Amino acid sequence: MASDSIKLYSLVYAGLVGLAALNYVLFEGGLDLAYDISFVGTMVIAVLKTALVVAFFMHLKWENRSLTYLMVLALVLTLLLMSAATYSIT
Amino acid sequence: MSELPPTTSLRRWLVTTNHKDVGIMYTITALFFLIFGGVMALLIRLQLWEPGAQILSGLAYNEAVTAHGLVMVFWFLSPLGFGLANYFVPLQIGADDLAFPRLNAVSYWLYVLSGVMFAISFFQGGTLSAGWTMYAPLNVPMYTPSIGSTGAILALAMFVASTTASTVNFLTSIHHSRAEGMGLMDMPMFTWSMLATVWMMLFAFAALLSVAVILLSDRVFGSLYFSATEGGSLLWGHLFWFFGHPEVYIVFFPALGVMLELFQTFSGRRLVGRKWAIIAICLISVQSFLVWMHHMFLTTINLEIKTLMMATTIGISLPFDLLVFALIYTLIKGRIQFTTPFLFALGALLLFILGGITGVFLGAIVLDYEFRGTYWVVAHFHYVMFGGATALFGGIYYWFPKVTGKMYDEFLGKVHFVVFFIGFNAVYFSMFLGWETPRRVFEYDPAFQTFHQIGTIGAFVLGGSFFIMFYNLAKSYLYGEEAGANPWDYTRTAEWAIPSPPPLENWDGRPSYASGKLEFVQDAVADGGHADGHGESHLDEYPYWDKHPSHASIWPFAFSVATLIFMIGLSGVRDSVSLSLGETLATTALSMSNPVYPVFAAVGPILMVWTAVRWGTEDFYAPPTAIAERWPFHGIEKVKLGMWFFLASDVIVFGAFISAAVFIRVNAGWMNWGPITEPLPGLINTFVLLTSSFTVILALVFARRENAKGLLASLGATILLSFTFLGIKAWEWHHEVYDKGVTLTQNPHGDPIQASIYYVTTGLHGFHVVIGVLIAGYLFVRAARGYYREDQRPLEYFGLYWHFVDIVWIFLFPLFYLF
Repeated sequence: MASDSIKLYSLVYAGLVGLAALNYVLFEGGLDLAYDISFVGTMVIAVLKTALVVAFFMHLKWENRSLTYLMVLALVLTLLLMSAATYSIT
Repeated sequence: MSELPPTTSLRRWLVTTNHKDVGIMYTITALFFLIFGGVMALLIRLQLWEPGAQILSGLAYNEAVTAHGLVMVFWFLSPLGFGLANYFVPLQIGADDLAFPRLNAVSYWLYVLSGVMFAISFFQGGTLSAGWTMYAPLNVPMYTPSIGSTGAILALAMFVASTTASTVNFLTSIHHSRAEGMGLMDMPMFTWSMLATVWMMLFAFAALLSVAVILLSDRVFGSLYFSATEGGSLLWGHLFWFFGHPEVYIVFFPALGVMLELFQTFSGRRLVGRKWAIIAICLISVQSFLVWMHHMFLTTINLEIKTLMMATTIGISLPFDLLVFALIYTLIKGRIQFTTPFLFALGALLLFILGGITGVFLGAIVLDYEFRGTYWVVAHFHYVMFGGATALFGGIYYWFPKVTGKMYDEFLGKVHFVVFFIGFNAVYFSMFLGWETPRRVFEYDPAFQTFHQIGTIGAFVLGGSFFIMFYNLAKSYLYGEEAGANPWDYTRTAEWAIPSPPPLENWDGRPSYASGKLEFVQDAVADGGHADGHGESHLDEYPYWDKHPSHASIWPFAFSVATLIFMIGLSGVRDSVSLSLGETLATTALSMSNPVYPVFAAVGPILMVWTAVRWGTEDFYAPPTAIAERWPFHGIEKVKLGMWFFLASDVIVFGAFISAAVFIRVNAGWMNWGPITEPLPGLINTFVLLTSSFTVILALVFARRENAKGLLASLGATILLSFTFLGIKAWEWHHEVYDKGVTLTQNPHGDPIQASIYYVTTGLHGFHVVIGVLIAGYLFVRAARGYYREDQRPLEYFGLYWHFVDIVWIFLFPLFYLF
């Protein structure tokens, strides 16, 4: 099984650690970035990290695509709740 | 594994995991709660006999109103549908049982004991009196201080745990165990309705779980969510109705399924526009999540979103029209037999149409300003929910011969229907006539007194009509005529193809629709082994092919009792324990006034862990279905599929917590808040969790390579890393409390609610880590004893959970430490 490669998992792990550190640097690294840029950058990083964990550690890359759609559906509903509720008070 | 005792033995009913037994228990328990909720209703109606009557005190009246709503919606309506579904969905799809029999039993026991918990709450200084919608801030201890109020919400949380388990179970069963040749579009309409129901439940009940947990954290630990001036009340509205609107269809769809089934059987005709009816059901399920703010037209949400929600509300009535027309045309095209089940199904349709049309008025913003909080609303939702449930009584009569093998008394059944229907309309139609009466209040304009008196008389007629049914069913069970395998002239579903009552393992041979009609195939089974040449390749990974399926386990019951003990303890812990924060941890004092609740709260979790471990180590075998239709989830092992369904619902649980944090912060002004924590410990914890995810995946790889040392080392590392995470967390909380003065309710640097959100959200995540440590410890011990060499699935599925907890942290870290 392709998912049994320690080398692959190690690479993913290294990527995750790197991204987490980058997260921190965006806000605390003294780069003096605008809040918006740091915010968007952080969210992009969070999404990338999630994608790495889900695809490789949780094997979704090798599973039936329907499981991916299931999780996307849950995510869409969460975003719907968050955005619609927040929009309602603006 | 123990053998299943005979039905005459009490022990049978405590240990059974068979879907038919559980279905019977669900149905009978739900009918018990019908009486419970019904007594509450009659008390309400007596109080309304004249304006401002004092049969109950004001507070007791509020409790009766609240309890009536909660019991009927949660403990009666849904479980009655699930009782029928438990029995008949596996039969209709040609399965031997539900996918996870012990999980099914635990669903039942958590359900019935959560009802016990709710009943207990009456004796804990009075139960909740905030209405079934439990609006904030009425639901916080300042306004509903009794222990019983907390108890009622704990009961609800326990009930939600039960429904989550059964949701995962039904989704997995229907998507994993359909008989060969039964595509999704070929499923019977009752099963279709249940499938849509559980899909909605998966997401809706997750939202209810999170809102209940947030409320419990307010009530048990004293956090400030729903009393926050930064939109606390509105937050409740959003989270509750995000669940609450789909819940309307969750309650109605099982009844709709029965209606669709009965209309076909008793008109002798296939459903007209069957494909379109299925599409309508799917559309409603999706649309149900897009209308929730029509329950909030009188709040301060903006007009744009109200208008949008009005449009989506009108939109959701369209597929319902389609369903109603499909039902009516089926009748027109068919030859109707007016049996008792059919009368109830037809009555349900009539009542539902009236309920549906009166609901359209409420969906219009301007009209809702007038109707809101009146008996128009009360009448409307009783016509929809109870009107729909009328079909469930039809379902009970329809399937009674299958379950018992005896025929019910047709004459008494018809008398029941007539009395029921007259009583129903007397009580609820009179509400439309006196609609200007304010809801939930027993003081009203004397001009409406006649309507309310008609309603009260109708309520007693309606309530009394059920005793005709109880008598009929009891008498028929004892002395009724033999019904035979199929007493009906025209049936389309598999349950009628087997004896009444069906045997324990349902089928003689394997049901298959491969040829286009139902056949029972005798697979060539050599010496108890599995049939060769069929099935999917992943099934060969199952090491226990030749084992006989198990049907008995005491651990679901034991675990549920342990949960009840914990819940009872939690309900009163805040009133019997007080924590006084000192300057340092050493001077912080804990004093206890009443040891009963704290002892229960401490013993409960220990028993829960013990029973869960016994559950895990029990030799219980639920065989996978070798040959089955699984679209769209084929190629996914059964437990893995269940795990992913569970994770999908957990996405909503955490999603609702994060939504709450975002919502409150936007309300307070996003940029007015900065992190109250230092980012560095958060970053270190991120590294710790990421590393633990890596060690979990290593554990799986080592197990697959049969490297015992590697497996134990990686699992051990995972456990150590989890403790490191929790240790850093503890240090951080200590630092916040004692160095910066930030507690659950106090924040010297900003809004107190910010502190509440931080502690509760990271606390929930920490709780998930603790559960993870417990499972990892269990796996470690089992691995040391030589398990998981052949079958690594438990490691893999624990990994799924653990990585998910890791992902949640990926979002919590920026939210609480950087933004």
